[in-house]
Amino acid sequence: MTAAARRRLRLAAAGLAVAALAHLLTVWALPRLIMTRATAAIAAETGGGVGLPPPADATQRRIVMPSPDLLYATCVIDLRERALRVRADPRPTGYWSIALYASTSDNVHVLDDRAAGGRPVDWILSGPGTPAAVVPAGATPIALPTDRGLLLMRVLAGDDAQRARADAARRTLRCDPVQAPARGTR
Amino acid sequence: MTGRSRLRRAVVAAAWLALAVVLGAASAIAVLRRGALSHEAVGPWRVNLLAGSPQADAYTRARVAIGGLLALRREQTMYYVATADSAGRPLRSRCSYRVAGRPPPARWWSVTAYAEDFFLFDAEGRRFGVNGETAVLAADGRFVFVTGPRPPADAATAWVPTPGDRGLLLTLRVYQPEARLHDAPLSLDPPTIEPQGACR
Repeated sequence: MTAAARRRLRLAAAGLAVAALAHLLTVWALPRLIMTRATAAIAAETGGGVGLPPPADATQRRIVMPSPDLLYATCVIDLRERALRVRADPRPTGYWSIALYASTSDNVHVLDDRAAGGRPVDWILSGPGTPAAVVPAGATPIALPTDRGLLLMRVLAGDDAQRARADAARRTLRCDPVQAPARGTR
Repeated sequence: MTGRSRLRRAVVAAAWLALAVVLGAASAIAVLRRGALSHEAVGPWRVNLLAGSPQADAYTRARVAIGGLLALRREQTMYYVATADSAGRPLRSRCSYRVAGRPPPARWWSVTAYAEDFFLFDAEGRRFGVNGETAVLAADGRFVFVTGPRPPADAATAWVPTPGDRGLLLTLRVYQPEARLHDAPLSLDPPTIEPQGACR
């Protein structure tokens, strides 16, 4: 084999390796990029507080492939500097759920009305980089695998009769940064 | 070797590697868009058993992020998606389809029509689909509705308007499925999707 042929072979092998790497990197990065974009768009709209998007229609949506039968509420999760306290008391109503998503887009935690058993929700969320925070009595500490993410509350509003009740239920959601980091359970 | 030929060789190598990056990324997007990975089919419906789950493989996670970001795990909601009719022909919004089936064994369910960009259609009266509340069940326990740009001839049949000429997909959401369906997602009695009349 000539030196030129060896060079071409090396280049071809390097090209294949780079293409494979780019393929895998794209697959790995896409959900994170899409999640970052979605979270940033929601944060820009809500200013970091609770988002109460209007019912989805043909012209707008805040959630990809939104269900027209649900009303949503959102909180952007940023646990880099402070824990986040999540509270809700969505009762009485039908189906609801509060789901936590990591920055990888994984649904890492979910609670629904049946599992809640009529009790109000009171969580203290923390991530790998969150300074320790006091967990108030009665609150449940939840450790997320990433410091950033999104909370999505769904409340069933399958018909007009359920809509007002569902709207009232989602408006009970509160997401407050824990103001005074102190010693305690993370 | 002259400096000029060395430079030329370096430029060719850099261009080749840049092309490799583009091809690698493009192949990933093509695979993810094709959606053949990590899905199982029941009738015209495809279901991804790991949607939303931290156990999802990288391809599943990426596909879900593209087409259904913020999906719930299977215990909470199962998502069956149809992009073709029962004979395997791609769904188009300009065509009319008769969708019929039995309510799945679950706490609640819905079937919603989306355009190919995953937006809802501009459906008058917010008739984006049917659900466990709005579906009218016949004596045999089955529901029927028609999608299409025009209402069905039989005014008693529920109509889900899909105006325009676009790709169409139907999503069957099964909320809190019963254990028998959760444990065996392909045991779903799949709603049929049959074209109605000529599709021009």
